[in-house]
Amino acid sequence: MYYDSNTGLNKMKRYYFDQPTTDKFVEFLMTQAEVIAPQKKGDASYSYEVVTSGKDIVYDYPRTIQPLKKYFLPPRETLLSFDSKNNEFKKTDIALNNRIFFAIHSYEMQGIKRLDYSFTQGNPEFNYLQRRENSIFIGISFNPDKWHFTKSVGISIEEVERFSLYFEPVDNGFLVFEVDDTGKELISKFGNGLSLDASMDFEVREKEFKTKIKYHYNRLPQVFEHVYNSKVWSDIAQKCVGCGTCNLLCPTCYCFDVRDEVELEISKGKRERFWDGCMLNEFAEVAGGENFREKLSSRTRHRLHRKFKYITDHSGELHCVGCGRCTKYCPANISIVEIINNLIEEYSDHQKEQII
Amino acid sequence: MSKPKVAFFDFTSCEGCQLNKLNLENDLLSILELVDIVEFREAMDDKADEYDIAFIEGSISTPTCVERIHDIRRRTKILVALGACAVNGGINAMKNLYPADWVKEEVYGEDKYLFPSIPVQPVSALVKVDYEIRGCPMSTPEFLHVLKSLVLGRKPESFDYAVCVECKLKENECVLDKGMFCLGPISRAGCDAICPSNGQYCTGCRGLVSNINENGAVDMLKQHGFSEKEALNRMRLYCANDIEN
Repeated sequence: MYYDSNTGLNKMKRYYFDQPTTDKFVEFLMTQAEVIAPQKKGDASYSYEVVTSGKDIVYDYPRTIQPLKKYFLPPRETLLSFDSKNNEFKKTDIALNNRIFFAIHSYEMQGIKRLDYSFTQGNPEFNYLQRRENSIFIGISFNPDKWHFTKSVGISIEEVERFSLYFEPVDNGFLVFEVDDTGKELISKFGNGLSLDASMDFEVREKEFKTKIKYHYNRLPQVFEHVYNSKVWSDIAQKCVGCGTCNLLCPTCYCFDVRDEVELEISKGKRERFWDGCMLNEFAEVAGGENFREKLSSRTRHRLHRKFKYITDHSGELHCVGCGRCTKYCPANISIVEIINNLIEEYSDHQKEQII
Repeated sequence: MSKPKVAFFDFTSCEGCQLNKLNLENDLLSILELVDIVEFREAMDDKADEYDIAFIEGSISTPTCVERIHDIRRRTKILVALGACAVNGGINAMKNLYPADWVKEEVYGEDKYLFPSIPVQPVSALVKVDYEIRGCPMSTPEFLHVLKSLVLGRKPESFDYAVCVECKLKENECVLDKGMFCLGPISRAGCDAICPSNGQYCTGCRGLVSNINENGAVDMLKQHGFSEKEALNRMRLYCANDIEN
C-alpha cells in the first residue's frame, strides 16, 4: 500500500507551459520517440493512439476504452511461427522503439505497475518486459467522473510514482512538474533557450470523488477474508450475463489463451495468443469438459478475489486501480463499488453479530 | 496416406454456407491438395458410399431429412454441422413458435398436404454431431480451421464466449452505449465482431453462449430501453429453439 502523495508535488521543480508551449513540447517529444496519447475515438469515447498531430491529443479525457496495457500485452500477438516439416520455430521479433506515453492518469500508471508485478513473478514474461523497456510516462491530472474511485483504492489523482513529468492544468496552460531525472533531461533538452517561468505557486486542491468504497482500502483484504460464501455473489449473478467486458477492459487483468493455427499446406503455422478472462465460459474448463467455475456467481467471486485478495496477499497492493471501466462499460450496469459496498455491509453486520 | 474423403450435404437452408465455400477461390486448389471432395451437390455430380468427413448444412424439417441424416451418419466417420441452421435450427426454427398447421397453410396454401413437415430441429437433435461451425453464413476462416484440424487429426477449437470479447479486443465503441440494439453480450463470438465493427449491431447469428443467463439478458436490454418483447423476439431470430421464455 502507499500513501497519499499530495505533498510530493510541492517539493518538485516546476515550469509553466501555456498552450502554444505545450504544443511545441509535444512536437519536441515526437522528435525524441513515438508519442502515444489519449485521442478521440468514435462518437463519445477516447483511446490511446500514436500521435501524428499534437492537435489530436485530448488533455481532459475521463478515461480511454482500453487501458495502456494494449501497448505492452497486445490483444492479439503472434508468439512464434513454426515449420513442423523441418522441426523449426522462430520467435517473433519485438521492435524496440523508444516510446513516450503522454497525458496518462495516475491509476493508469498504477495499472502498469501492477502488471509489472504480475509479469515478473515466476517465469518473467519476456514479450511484456521487452515492450516495457524504453518507455517514458508523462502524467496528467484528471477530474473524477461518476465512475472513478481511485482514491478508495489508495491512488490519489496526483500520485506521480513512475512518471517522469506530471502536468497539472492551470489557467491557459499547465504546470509541469519534474518528477525524475528522465523528466529533467527532457525539460532541459526542450527548454534550451526558452523561458519556462517556474515561479508559480501551486496548491493541490482536493477533488471530490462521487463514487466511494465505504471502508478504507487498508481494510478491504480483511473484508475479503470473510465474504467467500456471501450471498452478494449470487445476487450479482442474477444481473450478470458473463460477457467478459469487465475482464477485457481491466488494466490489471493479464490472462491470455494460446492457439496454434496452421496454413493450408498444413506444416507451417503460427502460435498466437490473445486476451482471455475469468468471467468467460471456457476459462476454467479442463480436459474432459469439466468446468470448475461454471456458475456466474463463482466467476464474479473469483474476479473480485483476484483484485482484492489473491494477488494482494502476495504483492501487498490492491489489484484494482479504481479506473471504473468495468462499471462504466458493463452492459448490465453492474457496479464493482456497489458489489464491494454490499460485501462490506454484510461483513460489518456479521461483525456486529459476533460482538453481541 | 490417402486423402480424407469429404462430402457436403444440404438440408433445410438457403445453401449460402456452401456457396461461401466456393467463394474461397484462392484456397480451393490448396484444399483439394488436402482432401478428396467426393460429394458436393452444389459443385459436382459425383456421389460416394462412404466419407471420412461429412459437412451438414441446414436444419432438419421434413421426414425425408430425418431419413437422410441417419443415412449419412451411418456412412461417415466424422460429422460436422455447418452454419446456424445445422447447429441450432437457425432462422428456420422460428416456425416452431407458431402452430404447425397455420405455418403450412401460410406457406403452401391448399397444397399443404403435399409437403409433410415437422418442427425444425438442429442436426444434433437426431444424430451425433462431432464438431460445429457456427454463423449465418458460416465464417470461412473457421471452416478452414476445422478442415485443417481434422486433416491433422486434432480437435478443432471453437469459441464459447461473447461477441463483446472481440469488440473489446478491437477497442470498439459499445453499440449499446450508442443507443443501438445489440445481442453481443450473450451471442457467440468467432466472427471477429464483424457487425459491431462496421456500424451494425449483433443479431446473434452464431447462437447464444452456453450457460446463458436469459433473465439477466432481458433485464440488460430493458435497461438499454428495449421492451421485453422486443428483446425476446430478437433473441429468437436465430435461437428460437434455445430461448425458454
